[in-house]
Amino acid sequence: MKAITSPLCLLVPVLLVACSSQPPTSIEDREVTTRVRAPAKEESAGVQVYSLQNPAVRQLTAQAEGAERAGDLDLATGYLERALRIQPLDPQLLQYMAELKLQKEDYQQALYFAARSYDTGPRVGEICSRNWRTISVAREHLRDATGANEAEARATQCMNTRPKAF
Amino acid sequence: MVRKAKSKVKMTSLKKAGTARRNKGRKKAAQNKTSVLRRLFRLSMLLLGVGIGLGVPWAIWLDIQIRSEFDGRKWDLPSRVYARPLSLYEGKAISRRTLLAELEAAGYRQSASAGVPGSFSVSGYRFDIHRRAFTFEDGAEPATRFQLQLRNNTVNSLRGDSSITGQGLVRLDPAEIASIYPLHDEDRTLVVLQDVPELLVTGLQAVEDRQFKHHHGVALRGIGRAMLANVKAGRTVQGGSTLTQQLVKNYFLTSERTLIRKVNEAIMAVLLEWHYDKAQILVAYINEIFLGQQGRHSIHGFGRASKFYFDRPLKDLNAQQIALLVGMVRGASLYNPRRNPELSMQRRNQVLDIFGSTGLISDDEVATAKSRPLGVTDKPRSGGSRYPAFVDLVRRQLKRDYRPSDLSNEGLRIFTTLAPSEQEYAQQAVSEGLDDLQQRGLPADLQGALVLVDVASGEVRALVGDRVAGRNYFNRALDARRQIGSVIKPLVYLLALEHVGDYSLITPVVDEPIYLRQADGSVWSPVNYDHKSHGEMPLLEALIHSYNQATVQLGLKIGVVHLIRKIRQLGVKAAVPAVPATLLGAVELTPIEVAQMYQSLAAGGYSVPLRSVTAVQTARGELLSRYPLRLMPLEHRAAVAVLNFALTRVVEEGTARNLHALVGNDSLIAGKTGTTNERRDSWFVGYTRNRVAVAWVGRDDNKPAGVTGSNAAMRVWAALFRQLPVSAVDLRMPDGANFVWVDMQHNARTDPSCADAVQIPFIDGTEPVSTTACLDKLDRKNRKSLWRKWFEGDN
Repeated sequence: MKAITSPLCLLVPVLLVACSSQPPTSIEDREVTTRVRAPAKEESAGVQVYSLQNPAVRQLTAQAEGAERAGDLDLATGYLERALRIQPLDPQLLQYMAELKLQKEDYQQALYFAARSYDTGPRVGEICSRNWRTISVAREHLRDATGANEAEARATQCMNTRPKAF
Repeated sequence: MVRKAKSKVKMTSLKKAGTARRNKGRKKAAQNKTSVLRRLFRLSMLLLGVGIGLGVPWAIWLDIQIRSEFDGRKWDLPSRVYARPLSLYEGKAISRRTLLAELEAAGYRQSASAGVPGSFSVSGYRFDIHRRAFTFEDGAEPATRFQLQLRNNTVNSLRGDSSITGQGLVRLDPAEIASIYPLHDEDRTLVVLQDVPELLVTGLQAVEDRQFKHHHGVALRGIGRAMLANVKAGRTVQGGSTLTQQLVKNYFLTSERTLIRKVNEAIMAVLLEWHYDKAQILVAYINEIFLGQQGRHSIHGFGRASKFYFDRPLKDLNAQQIALLVGMVRGASLYNPRRNPELSMQRRNQVLDIFGSTGLISDDEVATAKSRPLGVTDKPRSGGSRYPAFVDLVRRQLKRDYRPSDLSNEGLRIFTTLAPSEQEYAQQAVSEGLDDLQQRGLPADLQGALVLVDVASGEVRALVGDRVAGRNYFNRALDARRQIGSVIKPLVYLLALEHVGDYSLITPVVDEPIYLRQADGSVWSPVNYDHKSHGEMPLLEALIHSYNQATVQLGLKIGVVHLIRKIRQLGVKAAVPAVPATLLGAVELTPIEVAQMYQSLAAGGYSVPLRSVTAVQTARGELLSRYPLRLMPLEHRAAVAVLNFALTRVVEEGTARNLHALVGNDSLIAGKTGTTNERRDSWFVGYTRNRVAVAWVGRDDNKPAGVTGSNAAMRVWAALFRQLPVSAVDLRMPDGANFVWVDMQHNARTDPSCADAVQIPFIDGTEPVSTTACLDKLDRKNRKSLWRKWFEGDN
């Protein structure tokens, strides 16, 4: 018995240390990439509408992206909030916030930020697709299967619908 | 012989008797002596017993007294409250005046070279700023120097160390707006030893207690010297109290000069020194000593006195200012620089001489300092913080959102949303605005409140609760619960618009007399402001002109209960009466509650709880908690967007049509006036793309004040927005609403080129189905009517 427990005693802390120091999941493997960003990018062959961003906002977004890659979602959220103070109605920032909320498993807020992004955004192209895909994933996690399917369908329309309010 | 022998015997016996007597006397004397000594011993034992019996409990009692007093007031490191850090980047809208106000609030000093962190130089519109190192809520940043150029009230260029300023973004270390103890209501300006100028520490000892470092609470030499001086003078001219004794005296504030009190003080001073070290005693002294009076409030401590007399932090005081305060220790009233400037000057110079003679400052410095005026501000600033109403909100939100165990941590760093320049403008708008109204014939005792909020984030940028800057005995922005009048009406119209299929902005409503029997049997019959009824009109027009009868007719169809539910949805928890008069605003809310309601509207239905705190860190800079941005969207956001359009029309052609002239800006603004019965309250709520603000004006006793929404509160609101960058309200329609060209008279779609064509937002499915042709076509030039201006504006 002793012979068995001793190596275990040594192994458990080693495993614990290994667990605690595990690097964050690679950004390519995260749900936000596989189910939101990648498919939206793949579909977006047509004309894209992007908002004009202030250089300061670009800098903060880049810092947020760095923090996100490193797995520090709180820090990324902080950078993004600063950017939103500069451009509060920027659809890309709002969508990015939605995607961070998705990663933080705060699905209700992910859904709200994506909706806000859609309301203020071009409602066409890649950003539109990301809006609806985020809403779809969030609804799925919130156990709203019908709503998730509806959102998925809206995402596919983003590539062939003309913007309404412009 | 016999006789001789007899006499001999007699003699012998006499001798014997004498000897015996003598011996007896000696013995008796010895016995007496022993007895006296014994008595004395007994007496002393008795006295000692009594002394111990009474003295020890007395000393213990004094010990309990002084320790409980000291521990109760021994303030640990206070929490520092910071304003929001100002972000500067190319393209940021900021005026020169605002940038200077922000720098001043953050304690930056103007210098020729901006050579040290915390200084700046300015030449025209070119600023050279040396930012201090600072631990922000998301991390530490080193000191850095950068140059920026303003042009047309915008940052045109920003250059500096690229590793910090990156692509042209730098933030100033924020203004420290208060030191508070979140769990205590006491608002003090307390200092820690590191923040006390060395000259104050050494100077105090030089003037008041040179043996401070060495004595144990009482300095016998000092008492002897004082007694000698007093005997010579024949009256009390000098005190021999040590700083410790003075602190004790200050704790039990009494002017009584009795021996017993002096003895008590001395015992307590010794006990204090027994329990606490010199540094603790000195900090307590610096924070506790009495240095003046303002009305009912005593000015305690050098930190508070520094702000009260000089309006600057203690660490920034110069030699003559320190000398003035040190001199006041001996008699705060006698040497009050505002009341007795000559005496105060004499005392200050006397103290400066002592500073010089003890080598604390050089003779040249003494001469220079003595040549300076007293330098006190004309008006004392009340309260510990420059922005007491806002700090009040911070304190309340901290208590609401944090555990007491978190708040009891020493030296928290509290990051808030206050924009110092906007707060200054808001206070000016209220203070000067009400003075102006007074000159226009309105009552002199008008009071006001103003709440300024960032639309998208719900961050409170400014909060004014009193006409007088810095005063906060009644925070009207948070606590004045007043009827809101017509400010409630937009919610009635919002409810109507949410009834998709029943109402649009062009649905006809009727403005005609209405009589309602109430529960008590009386009849309620609201009238319009102009005492006229205006008949049938589009819903939009009824809102634009704030017609009471039309609103009540509409509201009764919808139901007061739904209105109450809507108020709740918008984040207001106050009780709202379920009576028809609620439709006209017979509901009492505070300005901040009204701000919460309108933030939801201004943000297109994306409600955010108003917040004044963004993060709290421990003294070491570890994050204790963040208040992240959280959205709480309303249902029917398309209806909110349509309503926002209607509220811009209130400003373009309705009850707030003078607003553009008052603000001096043509950008699209949405707003609503509010007036209550007998002109008791004046409200104005208005918003631009980025800011929503609520202004209230009225009297504290709720008596008629002669005010209306547009003649008082709107002026205050406009005075604030004259100083702020104004960007047009965002009128892009969300999913589910669109603009349509219509002819309102015929309730039909029409061609944009028709003279009566107006473009109005409709919720999908509520736009008119029929189309009308027009006889009169507009030429292109005239098409730019007011109705369309928003569309061709700077959206």
